[in-house]
Amino acid sequence: MKLPQAQVAVLEAASADEQRTIDRIAEATDLKPETATRAAFELDDAGLLEVTERTTSDVELTEEAERYVEAGLPELRLYEAAVEAGADEEPVGMGQVIGASGLEGDAVDIALSNYARKGYGEIDSGEIAADPEADPDADDEATALDALAEGAGAYARETALEDLDNRGLIEQTETVIRSVTLTDDGVTELMAGIETAETVGQVTSEMLTSGEWAEVEFAEYNVEADAERVVPGRKHALREMAERVTDVLVGMGFQEMQGPHVDADFWINDCLFMPQDHPARNHWDRFALESPEAIDELPEDLVERVESAHREGVGPDGEGYHSPWDLDFAKALALRGHTTSLTARHLSGEAMGDLEPPQRFFSIEKAYRNDTLDATHLLEFFQIEGWVMAEDLSVRDLMGTFTEFYEQFGITDIEFKPHYNPYTEPSFELFGRHPETGEMIEIGNSGLFRPEMLEPLGVDCDVMAWGLALERLFMLATGAEDIRDVHGTLVDLEFLREEEVTY
Amino acid sequence: MPTVEIDPDELRRLTGHDEKDDAALREDLFGLGLEFEGETDDGEFELEFAPDRLDRLSVEGVARSLRYQYGDDRGVYVPSTNDAEWTIRVADVPEDRPYVTGAIVRGLDMDDAALESLIQVQEKLHATMGRQRAKGAIGVHDLTMLKGETLKEDDDSAKSVTYTGVDADEETMVPLEGDQELTLREVLDVHHIGQEYADLVADYESMPAIYDEIGLFSFPPVVNGRRTEVSADSRDLFIEMTGTDQWTVDKMLNIVCYALDARGGRVEEVNVEYTDDAPVTPEAGSELLRPDLVTKTKTVVHGDIETMLGVDLDERDVVDLIERAGMDAEPTETDDGAAAYRIEVPPYRVDVLHPVDLIDDVGRAYGFNELEPRYPDVSTVGGRHERSRLEDAVRDRLVGQGFEDLLNFHLIDEEQNYERLNAQQGSDVVGGGEAVTIEQPYSEDFTMVRSWALPSIMMVLENNTHRAYPQDLAEVGFSAHVDERENTNVAERRTVAAALCHAGASYEDAKAALRTLVDGFDEDLETPATEHPTFISGRTASVVIDGEEVGVVGEVHPEVIVEHDVELPVAAFEFDLNALR
Repeated sequence: MKLPQAQVAVLEAASADEQRTIDRIAEATDLKPETATRAAFELDDAGLLEVTERTTSDVELTEEAERYVEAGLPELRLYEAAVEAGADEEPVGMGQVIGASGLEGDAVDIALSNYARKGYGEIDSGEIAADPEADPDADDEATALDALAEGAGAYARETALEDLDNRGLIEQTETVIRSVTLTDDGVTELMAGIETAETVGQVTSEMLTSGEWAEVEFAEYNVEADAERVVPGRKHALREMAERVTDVLVGMGFQEMQGPHVDADFWINDCLFMPQDHPARNHWDRFALESPEAIDELPEDLVERVESAHREGVGPDGEGYHSPWDLDFAKALALRGHTTSLTARHLSGEAMGDLEPPQRFFSIEKAYRNDTLDATHLLEFFQIEGWVMAEDLSVRDLMGTFTEFYEQFGITDIEFKPHYNPYTEPSFELFGRHPETGEMIEIGNSGLFRPEMLEPLGVDCDVMAWGLALERLFMLATGAEDIRDVHGTLVDLEFLREEEVTY
Repeated sequence: MPTVEIDPDELRRLTGHDEKDDAALREDLFGLGLEFEGETDDGEFELEFAPDRLDRLSVEGVARSLRYQYGDDRGVYVPSTNDAEWTIRVADVPEDRPYVTGAIVRGLDMDDAALESLIQVQEKLHATMGRQRAKGAIGVHDLTMLKGETLKEDDDSAKSVTYTGVDADEETMVPLEGDQELTLREVLDVHHIGQEYADLVADYESMPAIYDEIGLFSFPPVVNGRRTEVSADSRDLFIEMTGTDQWTVDKMLNIVCYALDARGGRVEEVNVEYTDDAPVTPEAGSELLRPDLVTKTKTVVHGDIETMLGVDLDERDVVDLIERAGMDAEPTETDDGAAAYRIEVPPYRVDVLHPVDLIDDVGRAYGFNELEPRYPDVSTVGGRHERSRLEDAVRDRLVGQGFEDLLNFHLIDEEQNYERLNAQQGSDVVGGGEAVTIEQPYSEDFTMVRSWALPSIMMVLENNTHRAYPQDLAEVGFSAHVDERENTNVAERRTVAAALCHAGASYEDAKAALRTLVDGFDEDLETPATEHPTFISGRTASVVIDGEEVGVVGEVHPEVIVEHDVELPVAAFEFDLNALR
């Protein structure tokens, strides 16, 4: 019979009388272990060879166990000290025995809990009794421990190993070892003589240019065999989600904004008609900078109009806040708490000159929150921010835009819960039905900008806006439970490598 | 988001709707924008409220809103008041807290639930409008325990108390939950309530205090005296509020008066008398009658309502919706002849600044979710910003070369950013820029904005030593440092950073990756030798693109690698994204 070269080599290296490991076969045949393995399985399929798998466990002592090998198990030391103190005749005070045993710290608890479990005696009302019948020399765990220390772990009792494992004294690892033996058919075929088939493994450049490829037979591969896994270069999973959102928004006619992460409170809050004593602007919630402290210049006219809106309101029937307004606070720098600061810069004309309606703008950029880090809250997160500027926008337009946007992500049945924001009126929290769980979940915040925001910025038409954390959309779409695994330096590379692709 | 606790039985009683079960109530409350968060141990609803309708901070206010929603009540309601007998005289006003207001409510039939609600509305008002008592603080007292000073010899019905500034070490009181006479200083130092609010008055020149004929009975904004403590048996209450803004304390007072009116109390006015020599107040020398239960009126244009809601409405509908929102509307015309309404707003509303706020009320009464969404018929051209396209192109090239793209925090601490990389702040190397620092960070791990991205990548390597290698990681991201030439005094940079970590990773590998990347953008790359403390001397080069020095490439120093508990070599580069523009 004819067989491919690798199979012939494996067959010849195998024995009918003795199991030989694949590693040994690979060494003898000079084949790569994976090639030898593949050939062995192919021969097994053909009935010429039998592959057997054996799982071996390797047992290693932990550091704690190493100490016990030296000093003895704490419960045995306790027992010895107890017998010494006469506790085999009548109970002795625990303090005395522990002192005599030389046990300290955690070892005392360990000794006490194992003492009774293993029948060395009773511990009751602070007194310790020793069972005179107990034999520390016959302690299964101690025996197993010593055997392991001497490399004779194979002789240790299974139950003792289990106990040691439970006590965290050993670490067991399992490996699969494959061995081969010739079958009767294999022996017969070998006796009859096996030729190496003129089959070709690798297609070579020489073969292609010489025309030899036309003459040869290609060896069959086991195309179902497992292939090695490659560590891929890939885009960050959250970035993929950001790009998906960007695609949707650009498709809906939105243009991208950018602007400073560190900005004056004026652009972050004052332009948004947030009163200076608003709770969100106190020193705890703001990400105020220690250095540098303030912006150099703000547009003077705009500052005047914004201050006046805060103090007096806008329009004939308008009223302002009854809150202090201070230019120094407006100039103070902070990491932006929302990317609406970019919106303010764009609407004012500061970013790219005066804008004429209609306009649609968006950004997916970082915003910062001075808060504690947990599974669902980060100090910095990507805010999806979008706005539409046009004449005579209504709540229905706002609803239509957001319904369209969220449907792209499979989120339907949008509900608009009337809400309050200092810079929008009307304002809505958006709720939508989760595509998997069917729950109604909060998916964003939206509204029409107030005249007190728009008039000072020089906008005399309507602007509707909404915001949402990208991470929230990501968690909804992927089911990720701890956002710290995804975003930031605690990222788990395995998560990134294995996370399903977003498109 | 703040929450308020509401007993559903109280709500049923106060609205007169016994037939509503808990589920029906929760749905009605959601319609008001009060979201059900959960139930307390004793079965009360915990409701999340948006901080605009502060009149809904108590069960009485929520019940009032529900009655409007159910159509049981319509239009503006203003409680009638009795004439003032009591006066609050302001003398030697404490300059840091110059404003005061007050009211009397008589004939209350309080029970534990009513008392609990009164305490809650005070707490919630303190937390919101009162800005943790700094801007406005409430004191409620049992009127029968007060002995007013007689104002006129021939009329003993006219009585007064005095709001004044005193010396913390001289005046004494027995505070609530206390049992001995303490000086105000001692109250702040040793009494548990005093300690909690001591910061509020720490910089005050004189301590605010209110006296009757017997003595000091209130130490705003810190604590009331024990003598006038309110209990469930109290029938007549004296309410005072002090603060840094008259409007704010007056509005807080209105909300409390409405709540007590709903409990059957009879509101009685109080005369607030500022002396002529109270120079810090614009109210100097004036007399105010409080509570100020005057409605205000705003004009709302009919067309604006239709535009904002996107529906056609007739006049009768609008008037009906406004009345169902607890206001009155009278059709009128603007100067240029447009149909409009004069809308009368009740005095407990603190959120109405502009006619849009009233249009919002019309929308809520109409039911926003009744509106049909429509996609706006407005055409615009979408597009990405050039910078984000460039970032993305670089990211694509790096990923194509087998790098795993990272997305790290921009915040870091000094040790991670400089010290663990052997780098020095303020040095003239990549990453050495002066730190942009946070004033009051919550966490020691996030105290500054990173000045480069390589430290973040090293941290990712450090946290993933148990994962498979190679770990070739890259980030196109943000970094910043102090730069006085900028308007914000911060230079914000987009940075390209990459590190190769695997057996045999070398300078050559890093340079090859860099070379390939830069070639893709058709720019010239030179790498003259340089020194950088993060890298091995002699295996470090400047990244010079188009003749400009923009970054660094090299083999990371073993000291840095070991510091991050990594056991394989790391070669890396980092440069300014703009160089590829």
